[in-house]
Amino acid sequence: MTDFAAIREQFPILDQQIHGHPLVYLDSAATSQKPQCVIDAESEFYRTINAGVHRGAHELAARSTVAFERARAKVARLVGANAEEGAEEIVVTGGATAGLNLLATAFGNASLGRGGAAAKRFALQPGDEIVVSKAEHHSVLLPFQELAYRTGATFKWLDLTEDGRVRTDNLDEVITERTKVVAVTHVGNTTGAITDITPIVRRAHEVGAVFVLDACQSVPHLKVDFHALDVDFAAWSAHKMYGPTGVGFLYGRRELLEALPPANFGGSMVELAWMDQPAQYMEPPARFEAGTQPVAQVVAAGVAAEWMMGIGLENIEAHERAIAAELLKLGDIEGIRILGPRENVDRIGTVAFDVAGVHPHDVGQYIDAQGIAIRVGHHCAQPVHRHFGLYASNRASSGVYNSVEDARALVEAAKGIRAFFGV
Amino acid sequence: MNDYGMSGDDLEQMYQEVILEAAKNPHGKERFAADLTKEGAGADATGDSVVRATHEYCTPGESHQFNPTCGDEATVHVEVSDKEPHTIERVVWDGQGCSISQASLSVMVDLVDGKSVDEAMRLEHTFHKLMESRGKGLGDEALEETLGDGIVFQGVSKYPMRIKCALLAWEGLKDSIAKALAAKA
Repeated sequence: MTDFAAIREQFPILDQQIHGHPLVYLDSAATSQKPQCVIDAESEFYRTINAGVHRGAHELAARSTVAFERARAKVARLVGANAEEGAEEIVVTGGATAGLNLLATAFGNASLGRGGAAAKRFALQPGDEIVVSKAEHHSVLLPFQELAYRTGATFKWLDLTEDGRVRTDNLDEVITERTKVVAVTHVGNTTGAITDITPIVRRAHEVGAVFVLDACQSVPHLKVDFHALDVDFAAWSAHKMYGPTGVGFLYGRRELLEALPPANFGGSMVELAWMDQPAQYMEPPARFEAGTQPVAQVVAAGVAAEWMMGIGLENIEAHERAIAAELLKLGDIEGIRILGPRENVDRIGTVAFDVAGVHPHDVGQYIDAQGIAIRVGHHCAQPVHRHFGLYASNRASSGVYNSVEDARALVEAAKGIRAFFGV
Repeated sequence: MNDYGMSGDDLEQMYQEVILEAAKNPHGKERFAADLTKEGAGADATGDSVVRATHEYCTPGESHQFNPTCGDEATVHVEVSDKEPHTIERVVWDGQGCSISQASLSVMVDLVDGKSVDEAMRLEHTFHKLMESRGKGLGDEALEETLGDGIVFQGVSKYPMRIKCALLAWEGLKDSIAKALAAKA
């Protein structure tokens, strides 16, 4: 039996009062808090081995390089990716947003003929199609929508069911022989719904399209294996999985990473650079890691990955499922509507809700006055809100440090909202 | 530690009766701008729709204001008389958002409707000062009185996250008046 109370105690930030109440943090879908071991790992790096990686020949440079590559391997193990030297499948990025933009830019470069014959599989032209879903975060929606504008490709999307799940009943209609890229979220950042990606991946591959997964909201909460899921690329952020801000990862099937042209150019990604002829770029992952990397943060993210595996992803999943069940009771309060699946099936502990007659900003203020942190606004996902006929909503989201009591505190607080605002 | 000190009392102080009431029964609100909760509305929101005046002796100006943190948005429409002194003959708005932003729009309409542009700009300046006062007020009773019901937003000025909500209306007013005056020139 995992001692989740002891796990919570590893998070120093949670031990404080907000507005005279013990802090209840239910905004992990925005960013998670960090355990002491992650906080320590970052400062320990700066205290002991800070140096540039993959350059220089001094001892500290060697140690920091080893620590950086070990962290990459830990992160790879967390998501079932290859880590052996020469077969790495994890690229360090500045975050999920940076990773998705990298990918869209690289596809755009391939469309301009860069990357030679190998990169042709990523090239887009007028008549080709890019497919996303209506549940996407703006970080998936916009890079691929812009890619469509740049290349003349047609931008299409999978619609949602009434309760906000990505529809898979009309895949043959939406994903066609002309589709080259399919990018879909693994878990809706607003609805908390786990997408049934298996048939979508199958259909994408059937027509020869590349499948890109937004794994931001799945990796922190679920056991995820990119090989088993058979996705081609996946992007996520470290800061939502108990790691530092400013760093994220892009998974790519090795064969595809090798064929993908670079998107960012600069130091440490090139073998030979000339004044009068094209450069010769390095093999992945270095090809995609131009410039000085956030080394301390990557090392700390590796510690976070190891820490999660130490608890066990199955345990984390089961623990948060109980919290989700409690959060879903928000839907039993008069005037409150859950935006997403109301059943605690194929969903995570991210529960968005609308309070009839009270704007989310006012809801957030009222809830915050009781020391409870939730997210209010459109959560960078405007189309999914329009799907529910709204512009903004309130969202509670769990982390491994939350308890069922935390969820209960929110539900109790929420009962007073409409009375306070007189609606 | 940066605790903004929100307690139950502060919550009551922020959400004064005037604010809750105005949010429920807005003044000067009309339906004329794009509905951001519907797909396809984007075309009107960004397009150069023609702004028309209802009074022929006036020049209209319109300004769309947006507060990205919570999605408050408002389009303020003013009509400024062509004769000097330039006077606000009509001021209406359309939008949606939190009760602070909605109430501020209503209070702003009550304060500036029928006033001269100069007077409206003085009120805008005073309100701005109030919102910068960090809950302390202006320390000048006569000046505070010019704001009428606007003084109820003093409680909001303690909360940096919410000041933008209260200022949305006045930013829209300032910008729409500037547009109307520019169109005359």
